[in-house]
Amino acid sequence: MVAMSDWVELNIGPHHPSTHGVLRLKARVEGEMVREVEPVIGYLHRNAEKLCENTFFCDNIIYFDRMDYVGAPGMEVGYLEAAEKLLGVFPPERAVWIRTIMAELSRIASHLIWLAAFGLELGMLTPFFYCFDLRESILTIFVEASGSRLLTNYCSIGGVYQDFNEKITDEVEKFVQDAPKKVEEINSLFIKNDIFISRNKGIGVLDKNVAIEYGVTGHMLRASGVEYDVRKAEPYLAYSKVNFEIPTSTKGDNLARYLVRIEEIRQSIKIISQSIKKLPEGPFFNPKAKKSMMIRLRGDGEVYARTESSKGEFGVYIVGDGGVKPYRVRVRSPSLRNLSVMRELGRNVMIADLVSILGTTDLVFGEIDR
Amino acid sequence: MSLLSRTYSIFSILGYYASTFITYLIDSIILLLVAAVAIILTIYFFRKYMARVQLRIGPNRVGKYGTLQLIADALKLMGKESILPRLRDDLPYKVAPILVFTGLMIAFSLLPYGSFFWIGDVFISNSGVGIILLFAVLAIMPIGELLAGISSHNKYSLTGALRSVAKDISFEVPMMISVLAIVVMASARTPESLNIASVVSSEILPYGILQPLGLFVFYIGMIARASYSPFDMGESESELVSGYSTEYSGMRFGLFYVGMFGTILLGSFIVSLFYLGGYNGPYQWNLGLIYLLIKAVVVIVISFTVWLTMPRIRIDKFVNLGWKYLFPISVINLILAGFLTLYLGW
Amino acid sequence: MMEFQPGEERGKDGRRIIKVRKEDLVSTLSKLKSEGYIHLSLITGVDRKDFIEVVYHLHSFERNEYISVKTVTYNSEVPSVTSLWKSADWEEREEYDLVGIRFIGHPNLKRLFLPENWVGHPLRKDYDLKNVQYINVDEEGEDYATFDPGDGW
Repeated sequence: MVAMSDWVELNIGPHHPSTHGVLRLKARVEGEMVREVEPVIGYLHRNAEKLCENTFFCDNIIYFDRMDYVGAPGMEVGYLEAAEKLLGVFPPERAVWIRTIMAELSRIASHLIWLAAFGLELGMLTPFFYCFDLRESILTIFVEASGSRLLTNYCSIGGVYQDFNEKITDEVEKFVQDAPKKVEEINSLFIKNDIFISRNKGIGVLDKNVAIEYGVTGHMLRASGVEYDVRKAEPYLAYSKVNFEIPTSTKGDNLARYLVRIEEIRQSIKIISQSIKKLPEGPFFNPKAKKSMMIRLRGDGEVYARTESSKGEFGVYIVGDGGVKPYRVRVRSPSLRNLSVMRELGRNVMIADLVSILGTTDLVFGEIDR
Repeated sequence: MSLLSRTYSIFSILGYYASTFITYLIDSIILLLVAAVAIILTIYFFRKYMARVQLRIGPNRVGKYGTLQLIADALKLMGKESILPRLRDDLPYKVAPILVFTGLMIAFSLLPYGSFFWIGDVFISNSGVGIILLFAVLAIMPIGELLAGISSHNKYSLTGALRSVAKDISFEVPMMISVLAIVVMASARTPESLNIASVVSSEILPYGILQPLGLFVFYIGMIARASYSPFDMGESESELVSGYSTEYSGMRFGLFYVGMFGTILLGSFIVSLFYLGGYNGPYQWNLGLIYLLIKAVVVIVISFTVWLTMPRIRIDKFVNLGWKYLFPISVINLILAGFLTLYLGW
Repeated sequence: MMEFQPGEERGKDGRRIIKVRKEDLVSTLSKLKSEGYIHLSLITGVDRKDFIEVVYHLHSFERNEYISVKTVTYNSEVPSVTSLWKSADWEEREEYDLVGIRFIGHPNLKRLFLPENWVGHPLRKDYDLKNVQYINVDEEGEDYATFDPGDGW
């Protein structure tokens, strides 16, 4: 029975169309207004950190694939940044560039999923399919490279699983040529719509200081006016050798987040087009890490490596004790921090706005619950 | 001659009362069946059109080009278990979908469909107060939605029902005022200015050309009445799961679904009757029904395009739109219509 | 294991690591925060069997560098830094949940991922993986853990 009081406790999720999986929001609702939100998470918890302690360094990559499952290669890169520093096995030049391309492709793939779901959250059915159409061409490249669409397991310690052959580079070049036009088309489906603008402008304004307090990173922090992108702040892979810009905005609202992300897609395409031109010849894996040697790699000490995943600052902290398995692995999940700020953003908004704010935070629960 | 009189003449041997009863019964059943088929065709057309817009193929497995897909869906819905929530209010819960569907079907029977070759005029009811009846019947459907929302005892349903009510109140008034403008204009030329058929028949130019503002308000009202995007706040899928129909399943849900598409079809008929000249066309060769259908299909295509491209508007903004924009516009339209009628005699 | 000494050293990737006693932790971190290290990147608890190591990774947007602060605790109690960073709220809850560090002064120290009555902390080295626990949901919608395989899944 509905309680006889001014407010009602509304359970949004865990099985709700707009919670991207298994988020549960305990909302105190007065009519249409949401007064307070308390996110409840943990429904997809597998404790990947514990699993990592019980497997070899080289096998742990698959657990990272399953974190941000819409952009798996980006997660692999994040893990390998830490693991390779710990093990002292570094990939050759060609593998670095290939990883850069894969990481940027996965960023675009992840952003497109977000854009598709964001459209659905606002009640737009059509852009969903346009986003998936473009994403499909990225997944084709993933299939060619790794044999798998979603959970690629492509990067490995000291290199990549298989070299970029002629066919893959052709596919990437074709993607680079086609994508900008398609991105503009998708963008025009959103940005030329007055209702879309009115639903997002000035909604869910995230103050810069609040964002820093809550550890928010990624597009949400950049939309609030902090120019922080790990690709620039601490360049990894080949990001120091390519030209790209970090889009920022000072508005901090939903629309700013949307615009920042669209610009990120454009910049990623730019990075890929440069990378595929600069792709050097040479070996694609480090002979120290060839298959028979891989499980014998030992790591000592501790390394914290950060990468810019599609959601924000993705950190991996690995502690080794000189064994073939990591002693402790700790993952900094950007979505978790971006979700935690919902407690601030979800105050005194309408239910419809709560859903659209939740949409712009871009949550992936494989990564939050781990 | 008309459909009614032809049927009547067949049964006239039974005497006045019996034959009148049988005539209306048979004609109503015919209309019910035709309307059901038309709704199914609308849904099929919508799914194909949506697929075309969204780079997909659409239904293509059941029957040639997926034409039997909707029959299959209907059979599936009938075969499904209708899950009843434990905390429901039993009677209103069960009555609500029937109310929505009945209101829709009665509304179909109140429209004149023009003449069709040898059959003659196609209509069931030619009431002298048809316009009032029509909108009274249309007002039954929100009651069904409200009952569904409240009796489900679900917070999402309740919120959805309250949203529907807020929405209905804010667009019904401007919509009725713009209909009043038509009645005002028609009253100059016909004594039966509340009879839909005589309103449509007596026009010189389609009312949509004389009253573009009225057409605008009325069309927005019809979109909101059918509650599809951008005005589907009542059942907004991503916010309220499914709004007032959250707790419904099986055929009860099917009735809501059919009700929605039926309202789109009905709305396009009403818009083309009132504003686009209805069954009037360039040649009077008993082609009225065809003209009406063509106009209705054009309106339906426009409606579907709006549906597929627009995001959902927020409920408070819609209420704002209704009272701050649509209401003044409809009043201005009424005043303009009055002037046109008085001084120009249109 | 060697004795813990407060001081400063360089990590494997050349980053500064500041080691402090846990009594000085909050004062050190607030000093660093006022120096510009305003972004709390990560809080990690490492179970070293005899003691628990707690590592704080901070980042400065202005200087564009990051730093880690390390402390140890022998009774798995560490002062909370929720007063300095709001993001520490969930991070400390997560570490309490999985490693079992009790953060003294935390306003709402509950488990973040696992049900409240879960036995043990999985990332402890002495956690028994063979002792399987199952999860179920009660009437109120809150989840609970149970050892009975017939009750949960």
